[in-house]
This record gives sequence, structure tokens and C-alpha cells, in this order.
Amino acid sequence: MTNNDKLKLAQNIAVISGIFCSVVALLLLLNYWQFAKNDPIESQALEVLVERLREDPNNDGLKTEIRQYDLLARKAYFNSQWQVKTGAFLLLFGAIVLALALRVYYALKDKIEEPDKVLENEIASRILAQKGIIIVGAVVFILAFAASFATVNYLDKYDWETASAEVISEPVDEGIEVIDVGQTRAEPVPAEQAAVETAGTEIQEQIADAGTKEVLEEPVPSAAPVALTLEQIRNNHNSFRGPLGQGIVYHKNIPTEWDGASGTNILWKSSIPKRGYNSPVIWGDKVFIAGADNQSREVYCYNRNNGNLLWTGKADNITGSPASPPRVTEDTGLSAPTVTTDGQRVFAIFATGDVIAFDMNGNRVWAKNLGVPDNHYGHSSSLITWGNKLLVQYDTNRSAKLIALNVATGETVWETNRDAKISWASPVLAQVDGKFQVVLTADPIVAGYDVQTGKELWSVECMMGEVGPSVAYSDGVVYAANEYATMVAIDIKTQEILWDDDMFLPEAASPLAHNGLLIVATSYGVMVCYDAKTGEEYWEHDVGRTLYSSPMYADGKLFMMDNDGVMRIYEFGKEMKLIAENELGEHAGTTPAFANGRIYIRGEEFLYCIGN
Amino acid sequence: MKKLKYILFTFYFLLFTFTLIAQQQRFPKPEFESGYEQPDTVTPEPRALALEYFDVLVLILVLSLATWFALKTRSRQGVLWLSVFTLIYFGFYRNGCICSIGAIQNVTLSFADPTYAISLTALLFFILPLAFTLFFGRTFCAGACPLGAIQDLVIIKPISLPKWLNKTLGLIPYLYISLAVLFAATGTDFIICRYDPFVGIFRMDAKFLMVVLGVSFLLMGMFVARPYCRFFCPYSVLLSWMSRFSKWHLTITPAACIQCKLCTNSCPFDAIDFPTNEKEVVKSGLGTKRFLAYAVLIPIWVAAGVFVGERSHTFLSKANPDVFLAELLISNPEIKNDPDNLDVQTFLASGKTMETLVQEAEVIRGKFYVGSMIAGGFMGLVIGMTLLNTVVFRKRQDYVPHKGNCLSCARCMDYCPVEK
Repeated sequence: MTNNDKLKLAQNIAVISGIFCSVVALLLLLNYWQFAKNDPIESQALEVLVERLREDPNNDGLKTEIRQYDLLARKAYFNSQWQVKTGAFLLLFGAIVLALALRVYYALKDKIEEPDKVLENEIASRILAQKGIIIVGAVVFILAFAASFATVNYLDKYDWETASAEVISEPVDEGIEVIDVGQTRAEPVPAEQAAVETAGTEIQEQIADAGTKEVLEEPVPSAAPVALTLEQIRNNHNSFRGPLGQGIVYHKNIPTEWDGASGTNILWKSSIPKRGYNSPVIWGDKVFIAGADNQSREVYCYNRNNGNLLWTGKADNITGSPASPPRVTEDTGLSAPTVTTDGQRVFAIFATGDVIAFDMNGNRVWAKNLGVPDNHYGHSSSLITWGNKLLVQYDTNRSAKLIALNVATGETVWETNRDAKISWASPVLAQVDGKFQVVLTADPIVAGYDVQTGKELWSVECMMGEVGPSVAYSDGVVYAANEYATMVAIDIKTQEILWDDDMFLPEAASPLAHNGLLIVATSYGVMVCYDAKTGEEYWEHDVGRTLYSSPMYADGKLFMMDNDGVMRIYEFGKEMKLIAENELGEHAGTTPAFANGRIYIRGEEFLYCIGN
Repeated sequence: MKKLKYILFTFYFLLFTFTLIAQQQRFPKPEFESGYEQPDTVTPEPRALALEYFDVLVLILVLSLATWFALKTRSRQGVLWLSVFTLIYFGFYRNGCICSIGAIQNVTLSFADPTYAISLTALLFFILPLAFTLFFGRTFCAGACPLGAIQDLVIIKPISLPKWLNKTLGLIPYLYISLAVLFAATGTDFIICRYDPFVGIFRMDAKFLMVVLGVSFLLMGMFVARPYCRFFCPYSVLLSWMSRFSKWHLTITPAACIQCKLCTNSCPFDAIDFPTNEKEVVKSGLGTKRFLAYAVLIPIWVAAGVFVGERSHTFLSKANPDVFLAELLISNPEIKNDPDNLDVQTFLASGKTMETLVQEAEVIRGKFYVGSMIAGGFMGLVIGMTLLNTVVFRKRQDYVPHKGNCLSCARCMDYCPVEK
């Protein structure tokens, strides 16, 4: 093959590939224009059919026709997509061949050129380069300088005063503000609402009197708080899992049989305005729960004896509270943490980071925002109070800390940073040598903190994962467990791990330790009883239902609610003895609260009072 | 004839770009009434670590081969086919990622943000080409860079640019690297990747403007050889610095230069330095006086750069998404009610307060305040040094490649009649 032949071949290939590219490109354009002109989604025929269906919604023939038309449109679309993609690859292939052919053509045609007789004048070009550099440099700087004049600094215009002036406030540590709005009255319950809620129920439900607000008046607390006593909290049920959060109840005559469907032993049930996965707490004649949705966050107080909604406290107008609530998962919600009370005030926290205190009559005492917790499911650690402090476990993706707030003012008494990851467990109080400490569990530590100072007293690195269950405490031993991790028994004084096991591990239910027994409830529905000292398994019972509620000890028995609303009652002993299975009639994953002769259960829609 | 050529090129340019718009068709998801839920969007798994290390191995092999072809066998054909492999492997197969040019930003961010952990692969992709260049010149540009390869393959009829234009346009990579480092260090954006003109072609899914940019570079590259490499590539700044110190840089002639001048038009990148005409230099007056004047001007250029950087930091910081969002919400509070503004709606749904957003934006602006002054000062220094460089004459008797600008493509060697 001579050089001329090669030249000709390269030229022909270049021409053919050029024509090929042009044809493919034109076809692609045609495809695009055709598609843009007859967009299946904008099809008028389809619109007419849909319009006709609106007028005649039961026309099955029309529905079939629309579906077929829609299927055709989609086929046309995906066909067009395939054509575009294939065309693009063909175009690329053609372009590569064209480029190669052109290269070969020019390479064959190329001859080493005769060197230029007169080379570029280096000096002149350098002088020109200097001018060019100075001009370009100056232009860049001038443009950047001019941009500074054309720019408005809006950040400087941000009005911090106005933004924070929603409520008159007093700044406390790092922008968190405490508001004193003690005069705000709780909202009365509309009579119609109460009437609607009770209509149609056969069981004994209490209806609020129209236009009247039943208030069990209690004095507004004074500024100087009176500390709680152990006796007081044992006579009530002031926090998640009862006194000290340990799951042990001191009340007697607890009912063991009821039925939601027939109303047997259901003393009353009252509708709950907003949903939440928090559990009821009790003080005196009042039951407290909380609820929230994207519009508002509320605390409810019911009359414990008749179920009347006494007041609704709204957690609104709180400085630093986000304009719209953070995204949370459906199974956690915006109001997962259980409220707590010291008998003078009731405290609530929400997934927004809003903490609020009401007095027992529903007047707001203080409110503050702790900063929106960075929590991918939603904040769920419940509150607990002791020694005039409200204890907040605030383990988030950003930081982990334990915060103690003054119950009367909301001011931070102390704040301890924890070397831990995010958790969903709740604080538990433990009395050791006459002193109280708050015990927390999270990945990777189980740790105790002095309630008075917040100082970390001890810590054991043994936990992992997304910790949901709180600890159990009995006879100087802390029991911590988490699904896919481990269960450990830690001597609180020596921090020695007495035993550990990983056979049955809870996901959400906190373990219960009492009288030498340890009870664990797994989310896949197995109840297990261990010897608390040795970890030896005594019995297990596969209930086959999801268990998120925490087991409770009361009146010599073990109470365990499943997510379907069935409460199983066992004898609290080394042998498995199921006493009763009672159906509530609605889903309930919360933990019940107890009073003498009564059980209070929060279902999805209603709050129930059970008694003989 | 020439006119016809340009008309044809323009026609192709428009045809190709408009054709590729067709790829941006989107079809809305169907709405089901039967309760069927659309599956969640799945994020693709990252490339397996072993394969990442394999990429590093391939890079080392390609760099070694490019060096061997350029320095040892002096084979243009070898370099050419190696760049074809690079284009296929690092370009079309690896979709242009990871690349050494973009790795500048990963390295910068790892220094600026202690919470950002740079992968070993990114670090090696950044360091290896620099290390090779330090010893052997820019062999990375010759055969191991997919961006360079795609441009190199479309060089058809390169024209020589005047020296002053080469020098002036040569400032752009410095400006680009200053901004890229500033934006990466402040966590604002990886602009090198965002505005990579060829990655859209490698992935066949570019946005319209990027296709226009990529095709423009390729069309321009038919006449102005490798325009992105010479006048935009930020990595070329670092490579150029390294290459100036390279011990074993390629030479045009394997033995003594016979001054035949055949190679004068061989370099499409204008990277061959000619022998110094000493008489002309002496006559020009570009001597000590101007050298001293430019040397004195350097601190003034630097000071001007720092000042301009300080003044323009507010403008530059607006590129940061957090700053932009905070300012948008301050200047236009009603936008909160716009359900179509996804950024605003995402912010509102996150639960973050406005105060937090503004505080975060102010922290970022603070970083820009310092960063812009450093970037401005650096640009001032570059301008001052480049000016000074124009009055420095190095005594040369032969035709030699400019170590900083030479891309080690080995074209010039084919023109040299001298044999070993």
C-alpha cells in the first residue's frame, strides 16, 4: 500500500465516520424533538380520559383504557431512553473513529516543516508578556475588588434581638434561655371534644362538664423547692418505670384481670389528643402524659379517678425551638420520652430539644431549648428528677452529656460531658451507701454519676450498638443489656463484671432486677428469667409478640405488656407461672404506671385506668 | 477552504451539543393508588478497597511505562498507545474518578478539617505523579492522565501561540488552584470535580453546560493543543514546580544538539526553549534595573492581593451552601413558605434553628476571611514572580524542552535526526 493509498483510505474512513456521526446526531435530535412534541405525560388524550374518570369514577372499562394508554406512554418513554443511550454510544464510537482517521490523515500528509527563517523576537515577546501579566493581574484584582462593593453581607443584617424576642428572656449559658411565664394558664378542654371522645363507648367513661374545667387546685410552688423523699416517690409513680426508674412498684392490690373489649375492670378510658410513645406517670390524683405532632407539643393532665382531662400544657414560644420539628421515625415520634414530676411540677422533653415545666395546675413555670438533638430516630431518653434537679440524658450524634437543671428555674446546675455515643436509654437512680447516683448506659460505657455534682463516679466500657434499654439496678449490681451486644452484671462499687451473657438480649425493653431475679424481654417476644447473681437461666417464655414495653414488678407479680396490647402477668419467681393474659383492645408499646389497686396504661388512642 | 472548515466545525459543535441535551429527559415517577410504595433510592456501594489499591497499582505501572517510553526508549508511539489505555481505563472505565487533579481538594480538606479522613488511595493518587515528576518530568501528563489523553488524541493541526499569550494565560491555573484550595479548605465545594469538562463525557451523563464546555475544549484542542492542561489544570501548577527540579527530564536529542532547528515547530505546546541571543538581550535593556524594579514590586503585589482577598471574602463565601442559605433566609424570609425550594424545606425539616444556621455561616465566613487573604497574597506573589521571570535570562546554546511546561509527550524526539 502506497502512501497515497493510505491517505485515501484515511480520508474515506474520515468521511464515512463523519457522515455516520452526522446521521446518528440527526436521529438523536429527531428523537428529542419528537419526544418533546409528544410528551406522554402531557398527553391530552390521557388527560381527557382521566377527566372522564373523575366524572365517572366507577367506570372499569375506562380505568383499563387509561392503564393501557399509560403503559404505552411509558413504553414509548423507555424506548426513547434506550435510543438516546444507544445513539450516544454510537456517536462516541463514530467520533473516536473520525478523530483517529483524521489523525492518521494529517500524520501521513504532514511533512517536517522547514524551520522558520525568522524566529519570534524573544525580547519583544517578553515585553508584551509583561504588559499582559500586569493587565491580567490588575483586571483580576479590580474585578475581585469590585465584587466586594457589589456584595451585600446579609449575615451582618441578621437581627439577633428580633429573632430572640419571641419571649422576654434572660440568657443562661451559651444562648440557652430560661423563660419565666408562670402566669400562663393551661387551656381548658373544649366540652364538645370531650363529648365526642366519649360518645359511643359502652364502658364507664367520664364526660367533662360542658364549659367547666375541673381543676384539682394545688398551690403554685414557691421558688425554694422542697426535695423529694423516697417515701413520696414510692407512694406515687413519678417517672418512667416507677420510683427511681427501677421498675419496682410498692403499691398493693394490683388488678390481674381485665378485658378492653367487654370493659371488664376498665374503670375509665379517655381519648389522648396527640400521639406519643411515652408512658403515664402519677402523682396524687393526677396522671400525666405527653403528645406531639408536627404542629404542636403538649402535656396532658388527667384526673386519676375519673379520667377527665384537667389541663393541656402547650410547649410553644420557646426560645431556640426549631421552626419545624426535626425528622423522626414513625416508631419513635416527637414525644417518646416519658415526663416526670416532683409533686410540685411536671417536666417534659420533646424531640425538638424543648424542655418545659408546668406546675400541678398547668401553669408554665419555665421552658428552654437544649439545642435540637441530632438523633436519626428521635430523642427518646426519659426524664427523672431527684434532689431538686431534673436529670436529662442528652446523648446525641454530636455529643453526649448528662444535664442537671434546677427544677424551680430551669437553670443548668451542672453539665457533664460523656465519652459516649448517641443512645435512646433513660437514666436510672441508684442509692449506694446512702448517696444517690444516676446510672446511664450507651455505647461504649455504662457509667454512674453523682446526682449532686454530676461527677462521673465510675464507668465500665462494655456496651455497644444503638443502646435503647435502660439499666436495671438491685442489691448493688447494675444490669445493662442491648441487642446484638451483650448483657452484663456490674458490681457498682468495684466495677467488676460479675457475669455476662448474650443469649437473650433486649432491643427496647429495659431489664428488671429484684429479689435475686433478673427479667429480660426481647423484641422478638421471649421473656427470660435469670438468677441475678450468677446469670443462670431459670425460665423462658416465648410469647411470640413484639415486646417494647419494659417489665414491671408489682405486688409480688411480674407485669409485661406486649405491643399488641396484651398484658401477661406472671408470678415473680424462679419458675414460670403465667397468671393471666389480659387484652386491652388496642396496640400499646408503653410501660404501665401503678397506683394502689389501679393500673394506668397508655394505648395508641386512649389512656386506660384498670381496677377492680 | 479555511472558512468552510470553520463552518463545518461550528456545525458539528452545535449538532453534538444539542444532541446530548436529549439525554436530560426525565420521566416522573408513577403515582400508585393501590398502596404500592416506591422503593427507597439506593446509594451505590463504594468501590471495594482491593480494587482501589488495584487502581493505584495501575497508576504506578502507567507512570513507570510512560517514563520508560519518554526517557529510555524515546518512543512517541509507546506514549501514544499508553495514553489510549489511560483514556479507556481511568477515563471511560473508572469514569474519571479518582484522579490526581481532584485529589488536591481531598488533601486540602484533610488538612483543614480534622474530622475528614482522606483515603490512602486519594493520597497516593496525589503524591505519586508529583514524586515521578520530581525525578523524571511530567510523564504523568504524557501518558497517565485521562484528561490529558482525551485532548492529546484530538490534536490535529496545532498552532503555535505567541509567548506573551502563553505567559499571560499561564496565570489562570494559579488562580484556579487558589480558589480550589480555598473552597475545599472551607468545606464549600470541590470545584475541580464540579467543573471538570471531560468527566461528563467519560460518564456519558453530563449536564448541558458541561457538555458544551467539554466539547468546546476538544474542538479548541484540535488547534490549540491541550488547552485545559496548559491554561486551566490546577495540578499543572504543582507538576510544573516539581518538573523544574527533575533530574532526569527527557531531552530532544539523545546526544549533542547539531542546531538543525528541525524541532522548532515540533512541540504543539510551545514548550521548547530556543538558544539565547545574548546580543539581543544586552541591547534590550531588560537588565538589572528592571529586575530590581520587579523584585521590589513583589511585596506590593502580595500586599495588594491580601487586601483584595480581604475585601472579596464576603463575595467568595456566598458560594458556600450554608452561607448562601442563611443569607437567603435573612434577605427573603418569605421563602420559608415556598414548598418548591428544596434547600429551604430540607433546612426547616432538619429542626436546626435559624440562630444555629447563622452562627455556622459566620464561622464559615470567618474561614473565608483568612483563606481569601492567603489566596489573594498567593496570587500577588505569582504575578510578581512571573513578571520577574520575564527579565531573567538563562544562558542556552541548544534547543531544549522547558522543564516546567514540557508534557513529556515525546513528539519532538521524532524530529531530531541525531542518533545515539
